[in-house]
Amino acid sequence: MVTPALAILSLFTLGLLAPFLFALLPRHAGKLLCLPPAFWCGWFWSKTPASGQTWTSPWIPELGITFSFRLDGLASLFAILITGIGAMVLLYTEGYCGAKPGSGRLYGLLLLFLASMLGVVLADDAILLFLFWEATSVTSFLLIGFEHERANARRGAVQALMVTGGGGLALLAGLLVIVQQTGQGRISAWGPLAGDPLYLAMFALVAIGCFTKSAQFPFHFWLPNAMTAPTPVSAYLHSATMVKAGVYLLARLSGSLGGTEVWTWTLTLVGGATMLTGTLLALRQTDLKRLLAYSTVAALGTMVFVLARGGAEAASAFAAFVLAHALYKGALFLVAGAIDHTADSRDAFRLGGLWQRAPVLATASTLAGLGMMGVAPLAFLAKETLVDGLLSPPDVPSLIVFGVMAAGAVAIAGIVAFRPFFGKADPAIADGHKPDAPLLTGPAVLAVLGIVGGLTPTFVFERIGGPVAAAIGGGTDPHPWALWHGFGAPLAFSVGTLALGLAVYRAWPAWIARAAPWPSFGFDRAYDAGLRGTVSVARAFTRTIQNGRLRAYLQTTIATFLVLVTLAAVRWNPSPQIRLDTALPHEALLALAMLLAVLAAVRSVSRLAAVVTLGVVGFGVALTYALFGAPDLAMTQIAVETLTVILFVLTFYHLPRFARGSGTRTRAVDALLATGVGATMAAITLVASQRLLGTPISAHFAENSLAEAHGRNVVNVILVDYRGLDTLGEITVLSIAGLGVVALWTFGRRAAKGGSA
Amino acid sequence: MTLLLAIVIGALYAGGVYMMLRKTVVKLLIGLAMIGNAANLLIFVSSSVVRSHPPIVPKGSSAVPAPYADPLTQALILTAIVIGFAVLAFALALVKRVYGEVGSLALEEMTVSDE
Amino acid sequence: MYNLLAQTDGNGLAKRLAEAFPPPTIDWPSILPIALVVCTGIVALIVEMLRPRQNNNAIIGFSLVGLFFAGLSLTSQFASPDLESFGGMVLRDRFSLTIQLLVVMVTGLTILFSDGYLRAKRIPFGEFYPLVLWSASGAMMMASSKNLLMIFLGIEVLSISLYVLAGMSKTETKSEESALKYFLLGAFASAFLLYGIAFMYGATGSLHLDAIRSAWNPNDEAFRNMMLFGMGLMLFGLAFKAAFVPFHQWTPDVYQGAPTNVTAFMAAGSKIGAMAALWRLLSASTTNVDLGATFQSYWMPALFWIAILTMTVGNLVALVQKDVKRTLGYSSIAHAGYILVGILAHVNNPEKVGIGTTVFYLLSYSLMTIGAFAVVSLTAKNGKEGTRFEDLHGLWKRSPFAVGCLIVFVASLIGIPPTSGFFGKLMIFNDALASDLMPLAIVLAVNSVLSVYYYVGIAKAAFVDAEGARTPESAPMNLGLAATCLLCAGGIFAVVILFNPLMNWLVGAP
Repeated sequence: MVTPALAILSLFTLGLLAPFLFALLPRHAGKLLCLPPAFWCGWFWSKTPASGQTWTSPWIPELGITFSFRLDGLASLFAILITGIGAMVLLYTEGYCGAKPGSGRLYGLLLLFLASMLGVVLADDAILLFLFWEATSVTSFLLIGFEHERANARRGAVQALMVTGGGGLALLAGLLVIVQQTGQGRISAWGPLAGDPLYLAMFALVAIGCFTKSAQFPFHFWLPNAMTAPTPVSAYLHSATMVKAGVYLLARLSGSLGGTEVWTWTLTLVGGATMLTGTLLALRQTDLKRLLAYSTVAALGTMVFVLARGGAEAASAFAAFVLAHALYKGALFLVAGAIDHTADSRDAFRLGGLWQRAPVLATASTLAGLGMMGVAPLAFLAKETLVDGLLSPPDVPSLIVFGVMAAGAVAIAGIVAFRPFFGKADPAIADGHKPDAPLLTGPAVLAVLGIVGGLTPTFVFERIGGPVAAAIGGGTDPHPWALWHGFGAPLAFSVGTLALGLAVYRAWPAWIARAAPWPSFGFDRAYDAGLRGTVSVARAFTRTIQNGRLRAYLQTTIATFLVLVTLAAVRWNPSPQIRLDTALPHEALLALAMLLAVLAAVRSVSRLAAVVTLGVVGFGVALTYALFGAPDLAMTQIAVETLTVILFVLTFYHLPRFARGSGTRTRAVDALLATGVGATMAAITLVASQRLLGTPISAHFAENSLAEAHGRNVVNVILVDYRGLDTLGEITVLSIAGLGVVALWTFGRRAAKGGSA
Repeated sequence: MTLLLAIVIGALYAGGVYMMLRKTVVKLLIGLAMIGNAANLLIFVSSSVVRSHPPIVPKGSSAVPAPYADPLTQALILTAIVIGFAVLAFALALVKRVYGEVGSLALEEMTVSDE
Repeated sequence: MYNLLAQTDGNGLAKRLAEAFPPPTIDWPSILPIALVVCTGIVALIVEMLRPRQNNNAIIGFSLVGLFFAGLSLTSQFASPDLESFGGMVLRDRFSLTIQLLVVMVTGLTILFSDGYLRAKRIPFGEFYPLVLWSASGAMMMASSKNLLMIFLGIEVLSISLYVLAGMSKTETKSEESALKYFLLGAFASAFLLYGIAFMYGATGSLHLDAIRSAWNPNDEAFRNMMLFGMGLMLFGLAFKAAFVPFHQWTPDVYQGAPTNVTAFMAAGSKIGAMAALWRLLSASTTNVDLGATFQSYWMPALFWIAILTMTVGNLVALVQKDVKRTLGYSSIAHAGYILVGILAHVNNPEKVGIGTTVFYLLSYSLMTIGAFAVVSLTAKNGKEGTRFEDLHGLWKRSPFAVGCLIVFVASLIGIPPTSGFFGKLMIFNDALASDLMPLAIVLAVNSVLSVYYYVGIAKAAFVDAEGARTPESAPMNLGLAATCLLCAGGIFAVVILFNPLMNWLVGAP
């Protein structure tokens, strides 16, 4: 069971230790750190199983989460890419960063990412997969923002996190829905879900997660902005591995979610749109890395596009393309970084003639560029396999889209891989220094593998294409990879796109020189606008509702109360029955006095008058108690009321007079709110008093008060005997309040002393 | 009488709320006290309004003669009155203290913490 | 006496009585934890009065020991059977023990880092310790009774102590201001709660939640109306304490204005108490008796919208804050919304969804909130405290340990795996789905995305260099603060690793 877990765990630990290793051996950290991933790459290569192998151990049974890993053809392909390219990138980092302080962190994060990414492709438990998925988003965030002193690095990092993190949550939602519906947390145990009533929700949520991660249209905008990361990071995360996580998951779930019309159409349209957007946007860039980033977007679109088709042939074509793309695009990114290092510029328009200064780099670049053009063996093979699929039966719209993408790739390859080395140099470009061995090894190895892999198609197919087809295509591909498909439509297609691409390449410099800078494209702006909009809504909200004014808070509360009561009243329509029972004259007089007191309080301008009115109200209430059978309440009320009035007067003695009054409008609003509350409460009183309770429990007290507690005053008996504990609580409240009062009165003096001491 | 009491309670609430919305803290406290009274009265009315029968067991009898005022509500109100008083006393101390520190009783001026 | 009644009286009154007022057994252990906490507070006060303005180590030590024994007493009762004693006033069940244990833990963690902060801020307020202990006892009371009056008293004990604590900073105007606002709105809310209780009592003739539950009868219109008003008013009051939108407005002001250690306690302890009471009230207000309409069919829609509003407004407004404490205040509002979703999921479908999620979330939330506030308290120095984002600048260099912990807390608040915050959200999300509350689950997910932005801002601020910061220095790390940070950060991972045994212990085997 242990092996996949061991791989992840060991690489994760290595990531934690990397900064220390770097501190010890700053000049050799890359060489040493690339060895374990290289070892695991070999292991995965040698262990690709014909059918999937699964390992499970329980973790959190309540949530149905298990530690489950699964190694099959698909997982193996990605594991090989992750560990293999990871090793190359780590080595490259040594040449790229040298012994620059802080590089230990870069090594560490790269390894943590490597381990997490390996987790994504090996996990078989849905939640476990999501954990690793989020870990890749977080490490990606930290790596994009690695140079955090630069504002655009911070912006790119946060943007990537918002987009992929948000998509990640959609993914989590989708996975949880599937888990709930199937009752099964293991991905390999999910059967086809097309018949599920919640299929659409599952598909939509999972698709959003995958599309954001893999920079599909319309979420593609974050990827070019992520290019602020150090180049090894761009090569590794944002081209070879992490951005393929979404594609990987779509492939993984194609058995469960695929095969439906929705699946096919969504993936085809989104993939196609991404291919076109990526290609067209790439051609107006001049920064090497941004060019490559957009072309990566286009390539990712292609992968999604292929997955839409389903079946063993498409799966095998998918595998070939993923492999070829990872090799050549990884190599080209590393080359771009080396150029940046060598010439201190990444401007594809102005660079040129570098082949003299860096012949090895030029060779690697050429090989990789040939791959991207679809001429080098492995890429050629992938392209032919893809086109084969599109031609039987011929699917004209798809062929056109694919043709545009392929031609664009040819042009971009020319701009990125050849122009800086063999084009005419802009004299303004500074003389840089020569790249050293670690900087060259990575691109060279990757570029050469792209050639060698294609020369031995049967061998590679056995290890990669066949197992992937078995894992997600549901069978064996009837047409094993072959380099030479004979003269025919696929070859003609290749030649045609190559010619078109070369034409675009030739036209490109003139076009860039002439073209006014395009307005920056919509979705990046939309993201900004969305963020700005959210912020301004939040600001407006703060200004109006959260303004720090107690009055406003009270108004909100009261208004909410009134709205809720009105809503409830409309819905349930309670009918307060007005019981016109008689009122004796002295009772009416009492009520009138209280009403007048309230009016006086509201109108009062002097403090003393206000306090007096309060006293009148209080004593009125006391009288009411006395009149209606509650002498205890009346007595307490009188005592408390007297104390209250005294307290008020004592306190007010030290306080200033009433401040100026409010404006008419304010007063009108307040009066409206107040009247609303008053009317509501009066209505509630009437509703409540319909239900005159001779409650059995009170009756119990009334009957047993004397017998059980030997008290004649039932209220007292209740307070002291039956409900002793809350009387105790009441006393606690009273004493805490007392302590509070004492503390407040004396504290000022103490603080003055204590503060100076 | 229930209707009359309902009107009184309504008026007390309205007056209390209006006072609470004034600018000075002092009026706010008076409003709070008023609402406290209104609430107690409301609880009182919601159980039963019976003229002149306190829930006291007369001499020579073993139970309270009906109709009597609900003793349990009265116990509840008693608790409420006491707590209300404690709260009010604390409020006054606090207001005095705030006045000492802020130098004003106008609520509008107490927005230091607001950004 | 009760048995006698039951034998002689055939009309069901006796049965109802026995239900509402079970024989007044007296079980001292069940109130021992609360009593211990209260008494510790009293002794702490006496000690403070005997030796004013000396160092507080003795009081702190004593308080922690008292809390430890309260915790011990709670732990020892986990195996005991559920029971109501003191005439139905005190209830001991798994939930009450768990919540009380959480409150004890929160109080301990707060006390642990308070001394250094109070010194740095020059607040010579020895009453802090007794008051915070009493406040805790209030929160414990709220959880350990099904009697509405006891719950109300618990709230008052909790709140009044907090009113005093919120205003204890002498040097800053905003402290007093916040105390005043908190107090006035709090008193207002308590009044609502009390009317609500009165109505419930008026309708059912009982203050005991079980009796209230069994009395539900929607066909009696007057009864139904009273119950609804009562329920509405009580929810109003509790929504204030728990800071649900639109009753949240005091929260940011008070969180910002109160001394940071008090804010930490308020954010965690007060919320635990409010949520516990809310849960008790809501689960007593669900009925399987469908007499035309279940009780929950009336209030569920309102709470549903309140949950959506709370999550959204909390996160949205947090985006534009410039003060860390204020931001955390809004974040606590958002988290209150998440917890409410968990509670709603439970009451909506109690057979399928347990209360474990809420308990776990409260635990995890307390750890990360107290931790975050503890780190923020480091900005206090020489009686001043700057808690704007730029005041955190350069903390990275001065105290890497604190910043390391801060990152854990922030990650957990966002809900990044493998922190407890992630698992908490996951569980709530799962529950919401299982309980057919899909819209709430979606709003929760969207809000989690929104929250990333400002939480990252907090962590980021600590990494920016300290040029031009307003307070160039901050308090040195002290032992208590380090211990709080370590316990909170460690706890965030520990509760995930020990998820199974922990949850079995806290809420019982599933």
